[in-house]
Amino acid sequence: MPESEAIRLAQSGDAAAFERLYQLHNRRVYSLCLRMVGNTAEAEDLTQEAFLQLFRKVATFRGESAFSTWLHRLAVNVVLMKLRKKSGMETSLEQITEPDEDSGGPRRDFGSPDLRLSGSIDRVNLQRAVDQLPPGYKSVFVLHDVQGYEHNEIAHIMGCSIGNSKSQLHKARMRLRELLHEAIRSKAREERKAAGSSSGGED
Amino acid sequence: MSTISCNEFSNQLESWMDGVRQPAAEAHVRSCASCQNVLSDLEAIHSSARSWEVDEVIEPPARIWASLRLQLEAEGLIHDPASLSHPSTAIPLAGNQSHGALEHQVGWLDRIFAGVARPALAGSYLVALVAVGVAMSGLGSQRGTDDRWTNFTQSTTVPLRSQLDNVEHAVFSFNAADPAVTASLHKNLAIVDNYIVLCEKSVNEEPGNEVARDYLYSAYQQKADLLAQMTENGDGR
Repeated sequence: MPESEAIRLAQSGDAAAFERLYQLHNRRVYSLCLRMVGNTAEAEDLTQEAFLQLFRKVATFRGESAFSTWLHRLAVNVVLMKLRKKSGMETSLEQITEPDEDSGGPRRDFGSPDLRLSGSIDRVNLQRAVDQLPPGYKSVFVLHDVQGYEHNEIAHIMGCSIGNSKSQLHKARMRLRELLHEAIRSKAREERKAAGSSSGGED
Repeated sequence: MSTISCNEFSNQLESWMDGVRQPAAEAHVRSCASCQNVLSDLEAIHSSARSWEVDEVIEPPARIWASLRLQLEAEGLIHDPASLSHPSTAIPLAGNQSHGALEHQVGWLDRIFAGVARPALAGSYLVALVAVGVAMSGLGSQRGTDDRWTNFTQSTTVPLRSQLDNVEHAVFSFNAADPAVTASLHKNLAIVDNYIVLCEKSVNEEPGNEVARDYLYSAYQQKADLLAQMTENGDGR
């Protein structure tokens, strides 16, 4: 069943059409939620909530935007709401995407010429770093760099300007660079410490 | 060619990554190891993120749709003629259930087994298990307290075990005439029962541990599968 037909049938409450829409989009929505929260149980809750909201509103969908964009917008909002609740803050999108404005955004630390990330980023440390991003940065980074959305689509999903999306992405990448460098340095320190205690134990 | 400073380049970095590259910035990058490192890092982050999604296909668990469907049915948002006569349509969403609702669900289990014909017994029981499984996994993501979990475990699993015992007795009565079959059933069920005991112990020790609850549900499922198979075999004689 093509998506357009599934949408039409779902608008009249057809169970098979709902399931078809779920099957078409569940992987990307679940993936988005999982990358955003880094936790499978929460990602499952959020995926269910996003689809629930979608299906409650599907009768009002008029096709002004792509269905997937509409769904992702709902999913991102559900995730951001959850992250706001977790942090105990009622914050605006601007606030959650601009946490470092007092200090002029991400630090422009161009040092460490001898340390490069290339070849040392794996999924585990990338997810750990993404987990530490402010929610707004995280959303734009996951949508653009992980899921491959264009800035105009992200602007629509996030309800912001294209320029804002580009700016948040850049800040997210710069912050990730710092976090990944910190992780590498921390790992190197631990390895040196372990090697030191190991050689000390042999004496 | 005139070049720019690192600070000036950092101001152009965002547009550089977006593909807009001024000749002066290009000249600076050619001669600056530090800025080359930054660009290398940003490109590494971008390519790692992209391959993350492409290489790792994430399949959401089937219970999301099961739970979602129950909620949609409960809210009257979907209509499926086939499900209207199905008892599962009356089950409220697990994640929002109170103890009263759980008791209601256990009562629903009782109603399923009351008066069902033997051929339908196994299939009905599996439907009931799916509902309880949804309840367990749904509540699992609600991050309840250990006390809540202890109460939940007792209110859900005790009647469930009771129902399983009833089905087990019924199965043995079907096969009582054949001592060899009865002995084999006892042996297989003892293995599954031991597994259930271990899983229940784990859940009691860590009521909030979702993995432990998943294993417990899986153990009940195994017992139900075994009983279903026995029932079908009994019917086939």
